[in-house]
Amino acid sequence: MRTRSFVKLVAAVGSGAVLLAGCAGGGSGGSSGDAKVIKIGTLHPLSGANAGDGTQLENGVKLGIKAINDAGGIKALGGAKLELDGGDTKGTPDTGQSEAQRLVGDGVVALVGTYQSAVSANVAAVAERNKVPFVMDVSGDDAILSHGYKYSFRMQPQNSRFGTTAAQYVKAISAAANRPVTKVAYLHEATAFGTGVYQAFKAEAQKSGLQMGPEITYDAASVSDLTTQIAQVKASGANVLVVSGYYRDGVLAAKAIQTVKPALDAVVGAADGAFDQPQFPTDAGSASQGYFDVNYHFDDKSADAKAFSALYKTTYKDEARTGAALAYDSVRVIAAALEKAGSTDASKVRDAIAQTNLTPLTLSDGPIKFSDKGENSTSLPVLTQVQNGAPVVVYPQSAAVKSPVYPANPGQ
Amino acid sequence: MTGPTNAGGAVPSKDGTALRGGSRATSRLSLRHSTPLIVTGALLVVLFIAALLRSGSMGITGQALLTGIISGGVYSLLAMGLTLVFGVLDIVNFAHGAFLAVGLYITYEVAHQAGLNPYIALPVAILGLFVLGLLIQLLLLNRTMGGTLERQLLITLGLSLLISNVLLLVFGGDPLSANLKSDPGVHVFGAVANLSRVIALGGALVLAVLVFLLLERTSFGRAIRAVAASRQGAGLVGIDVRLVYAVTFGLGTACAGAAGMLIAPFTTITPTAGDQFNILAFVVVVMGGLGNVMGAVISGVIVGLVEQLGGVAIAGQSPLLGVFILFLLILLIRPQGIFGATSS
Repeated sequence: MRTRSFVKLVAAVGSGAVLLAGCAGGGSGGSSGDAKVIKIGTLHPLSGANAGDGTQLENGVKLGIKAINDAGGIKALGGAKLELDGGDTKGTPDTGQSEAQRLVGDGVVALVGTYQSAVSANVAAVAERNKVPFVMDVSGDDAILSHGYKYSFRMQPQNSRFGTTAAQYVKAISAAANRPVTKVAYLHEATAFGTGVYQAFKAEAQKSGLQMGPEITYDAASVSDLTTQIAQVKASGANVLVVSGYYRDGVLAAKAIQTVKPALDAVVGAADGAFDQPQFPTDAGSASQGYFDVNYHFDDKSADAKAFSALYKTTYKDEARTGAALAYDSVRVIAAALEKAGSTDASKVRDAIAQTNLTPLTLSDGPIKFSDKGENSTSLPVLTQVQNGAPVVVYPQSAAVKSPVYPANPGQ
Repeated sequence: MTGPTNAGGAVPSKDGTALRGGSRATSRLSLRHSTPLIVTGALLVVLFIAALLRSGSMGITGQALLTGIISGGVYSLLAMGLTLVFGVLDIVNFAHGAFLAVGLYITYEVAHQAGLNPYIALPVAILGLFVLGLLIQLLLLNRTMGGTLERQLLITLGLSLLISNVLLLVFGGDPLSANLKSDPGVHVFGAVANLSRVIALGGALVLAVLVFLLLERTSFGRAIRAVAASRQGAGLVGIDVRLVYAVTFGLGTACAGAAGMLIAPFTTITPTAGDQFNILAFVVVVMGGLGNVMGAVISGVIVGLVEQLGGVAIAGQSPLLGVFILFLLILLIRPQGIFGATSS
């Protein structure tokens, strides 16, 4: 009796497992019979201080995978389905590295990630060593791709481009408003990100004859008040303040500016993590009015981008940020490469990625194209401004949906 | 390290015995700690002058002074709870920042779900975290008391991870806010601070005085001090040591909850928001002398001032540079902290 029911149980569990495995493998679909599963590894901070953004990126990947599978999978590989193999970096480089190693061991065909440059730098090294393509959705530090890596690619513009374009844009819109910027104060967080963007801005500003005021730095991890720093801006007599920081400190800066009331024509973020975010006007209130930011952004005129935002909202009950679109496009890049290579062989997929030619959901100078260093050479930083409680693209004109309001009189 | 510390000529430590941490968890200060105080004072004066010269503006330096005192008040409140728990229970509480985050989310709930003024959350946060701390000590930590230090350390570290991940699960990782409807700037001698920050400083001072009075003027406070001095002796005279442990841990946790509520109106609320204060709170606690509540309060303000003035004086660096230079100096001159017990 006992043995028999035990055998039955095992049989039941066993057949259930087979069924489940069949489902997971998408065994029912595909015309060529042995439709296999292709794993894509993701590395995002799903816990820790950046969990909010990490979840957005992870969701972007999920939507990307679903879109490809719903459209019939990778046709060149018999309708093979994509499958997500996720890793939580916890926002730390060593966890990111060990998770990358684990995913490579799992047999992922490519990696997508990671949001933080320090984590991406480690993952890129793992990818190179193991010859697995790595598509960076969000990670700005120039240094990551300065080692001549062959297997790493970057979707977003690198940090130095934000600094350079920020200087150009500020000069252009202030001149157009007949109120040319004369002196720029710069507030940035003290690590590689803030410092790198600052140096690029300064180089470009000096080239075009702008006077640079004080460089004021702070520690993003521990700062709880930026009033003193903004008092320094006020005393400097600068008429534009440029800020490079993360979300939390960006909100602190906006509140301090409203309290201290320096006489500024504009506050401009250069790759700032707060000023172009949809929830920034909620958290900073009226202090957010008129804030500019130079950043990557959705192509608000593209039907695909609108559809993506709507789908994201219905699926995750949250406003999609541009990072999610970069993650979504990263999956499309990998899928297109698999299609083109007709193989999951890493070096063939890598070569196909290098020849990507896809229209992105983000604003660009044309289809995604990777330089021989792996940079997306057509990615385009644009200028956004908070108008009526929401950030909108205002410059360059080709991408703008509204005109810039200048002077913006921030904090008044 | 006895030579220079008694230079003030004041009475030697009242217990005078070799009892470890004899004057811990007392809230008294004495002038025998004059050398490190003079060094600290001198450093502050030097920083003030350097900030003045560097910025060339009394306005900026005055702003740094005001901001320093105000953010120092919040550090004090946090460090007070941390040092109380260490002084009485010998527990290095790594979950302190996580408790602060719980205070933040309580405030968010009161402000958003109930639509009330965030300050109504203050008694809720204090009471809620007091009970949470009490329960954690009774159910979790009391069993490990008297065992190796690592056990409590690992438990609080685990608690910290547990709490921030539960918050992440419930509220998500996106930053939230509990702003005041209006938060005008308050002007003090040409410097300016948001009303919410001034209230935070005032609240921190009031709570510090309350804890001081509780420790010094009530019989329960005497019991807490007795347990801090000698848990065996306290037990022998009929003090319920486990209850004192639980209440003390509850008090320490309540301090973190109060700090969380008081900073909620001017910070962004995330599950890991407490982490940014963790390192500073530990620096303040060690500088103030492990277990010395008044020492923690004064050191908190010193750290706030050094951070702000140092940020102006040494431009292009993390403002914490000055704080860590002072910290190293204190550790060299007086490893037990400015107000720490002489014996160790």
